[in-house]
Amino acid sequence: MKNNYHSVIRLSNLSKRFADVTAVDGLSLDIFKGEVFGFLGPNGAGKTTTINMICGIYPPSEGEILFWDDKGIKKQDIKTLIGICPQENIFWPKLSCEEQLNFVGNMYGMSAKSVKSRSKELLHMLGLEEKSKALASKLSGGMKRRLNLCLALIHDPEILVLDEPEAGLDPQSRILVRNFIKSMAQEKTIILTTHNMDEADRMADRVAIIDHGKLLLVETPEKMKKSIGEGDILEIVLDITDKDDISTITNALRKICDQVKSSADKIIIKSKNLIESVSEITNRIKEHGYIIKEITLRENTLEDVFIYLTGRKLRQ
Amino acid sequence: MKILSVIRKSLIEQLRSFWILILTISMAPFFVFVYYLILESYKPQYNLLLLNQDKGIEDFSHETNYGNFLVLAAKSVEQSKIDIPLRVKKIEERIEGMNLLKNRKADALIIIPEDFSECLHNLINKDEIKSIEIEFIGDLTNINYLVSAVWADEILNDYLAQITQRTKLVKVKETSLGLSGKIDEFDLYVPGLLILSIIMLMFSATIAIINEVENKTIIRLKLSKVTAFELLTGISTVQVLVGITAVILTLIVAVWLGFEINGAFAILILISILTSISIIAFSLIIAAITKTANEVLIVGNFPLLLFMFFSGAAFPIKGKELFSIAGYPITVQGFMSPTHAITALKKVLIMNMTLTDIIPEILILVALIIIYFLIGVWLFQLRHMKIV
Repeated sequence: MKNNYHSVIRLSNLSKRFADVTAVDGLSLDIFKGEVFGFLGPNGAGKTTTINMICGIYPPSEGEILFWDDKGIKKQDIKTLIGICPQENIFWPKLSCEEQLNFVGNMYGMSAKSVKSRSKELLHMLGLEEKSKALASKLSGGMKRRLNLCLALIHDPEILVLDEPEAGLDPQSRILVRNFIKSMAQEKTIILTTHNMDEADRMADRVAIIDHGKLLLVETPEKMKKSIGEGDILEIVLDITDKDDISTITNALRKICDQVKSSADKIIIKSKNLIESVSEITNRIKEHGYIIKEITLRENTLEDVFIYLTGRKLRQ
Repeated sequence: MKILSVIRKSLIEQLRSFWILILTISMAPFFVFVYYLILESYKPQYNLLLLNQDKGIEDFSHETNYGNFLVLAAKSVEQSKIDIPLRVKKIEERIEGMNLLKNRKADALIIIPEDFSECLHNLINKDEIKSIEIEFIGDLTNINYLVSAVWADEILNDYLAQITQRTKLVKVKETSLGLSGKIDEFDLYVPGLLILSIIMLMFSATIAIINEVENKTIIRLKLSKVTAFELLTGISTVQVLVGITAVILTLIVAVWLGFEINGAFAILILISILTSISIIAFSLIIAAITKTANEVLIVGNFPLLLFMFFSGAAFPIKGKELFSIAGYPITVQGFMSPTHAITALKKVLIMNMTLTDIIPEILILVALIIIYFLIGVWLFQLRHMKIV
């Protein structure tokens, strides 16, 4: 995280109700300057509703959103400060990439000269330079997604809001977009929503896990994985004969880790932050004269954290 | 700056929405052509039958039949006044004439009585005045009978005045209002069809607006700094251009088919611009209650047909007066802006009137534009532009 802990956006007891459905329920958190902040949760968790409230598309039913802690900030200023890349590709199908970037730039009050150079720069950065004159409707799915991102960035906003940025992208576009977001993260505050654990883990400095509109946890992915859930799993297959008894080594390992199980030639160890104990475990096994045939470490994932917090898998 | 950008973007989109544009601007010229063909096929012709039962008189040892002279006089009128579609036919039997009338092959049957010559002879030579009973037969509900009867009466009176060398007691002097005497039925339809070309904007204008909602680009615009006024002004400007193009195309086709432009062209353009704005304003109401172009094509049909057929654009229509404002009658149709635009155009193009003569229509048009816009913008903001 590159932030100086200066709150860019503060959500205070934010709620949104649609008729009888509470989409967001008492959300309170801070998003800091320069960080990549991820909203992680299953479909319908309230991620998109939250960012729509941040962007001003929906008014909150309760609570408030403060930008730079200033309650008096003007709506017009917020519009300039935020750029949103919605989940759906939103563009004018009958305009070329260049035409719509110029148009949106003008709608933000940019001069013709600056909007032209900015659109050229963005099209180059997102690999759409050759398609600048092509109609948006004629682009491939991945290109449309990238154009969507360009449109969010044309006015060079300080806060970039990305709703499911990698959804529907081919592997090539995914890498391009991911690298682009990372490069943007050097200078902008980025808020992204995702139901993809890997995406959140790889890209976000901090993650807010929300479910049924409620905030469950806000933390860095690393801290979440180290402190929440059942921990990492280490599987060790030993090179032994049927007559060998591995109960001695199993007992010895229980002094290092809490949960150690054995069956035939396999030892399974579960513990938080297990990666730091791997060398000690292997040394102990070798000291007892066993040869390790195979060793597998599965780290605790955000999915494990999510299951631990909600009692169900992300896509259930 | 933002308005110019919206105009540029809307113009590009309109030109690339090729089929909508073609349909919008070609519909009214097509209607003009169809109306021309229909009216040419049904050009009025008044068929007058004459049955001469006059027995004639013997005067100085030669026979005179004034009935035959009357038939010849009627024939000469037919030949001399070629601008009047009057056809005169002499028949021999009453039954023949009745059959032609029943089969609608003739409009009026005039029967010259047996004593026609005798009465006239006595009047001329002995100054004996006796009423001559001439029978007019025809379908009184048929407008063609009425016109034919009027012409027959005129021919008869002219003939009697001439033959008796008496001055007609009443000489009617007919003065046509504006150019009404010189124009035909097709010319009367053209002002309505010019406005029809603007009514056709309803679909293209609504689709231009609703596309922003359907493509969800309205979200991008809501999040930008553009105001609803700037957006609507930009879109409307392009639609006004489309409207004027449609009017000019319609006018070109009408002129090609024989319509003569009278009155000031600038006033025609002024009325076209105002009517276009009113249709765009009304389109905003349709856009507010729809969400997709498909919905526009379904829902929009109702007001489109209403404006086409009840405003007087497709054919003249007279409505019951509800009330009047400073002497200007307001009918049910008066709530539709094209009604006033058509009245104004008829005054200018047919009656050769000036701008001052159409001030009431202009004022009502402006009032309707304001009303449509207020309702449209309010509904559109409520449905599609609401933002924190």
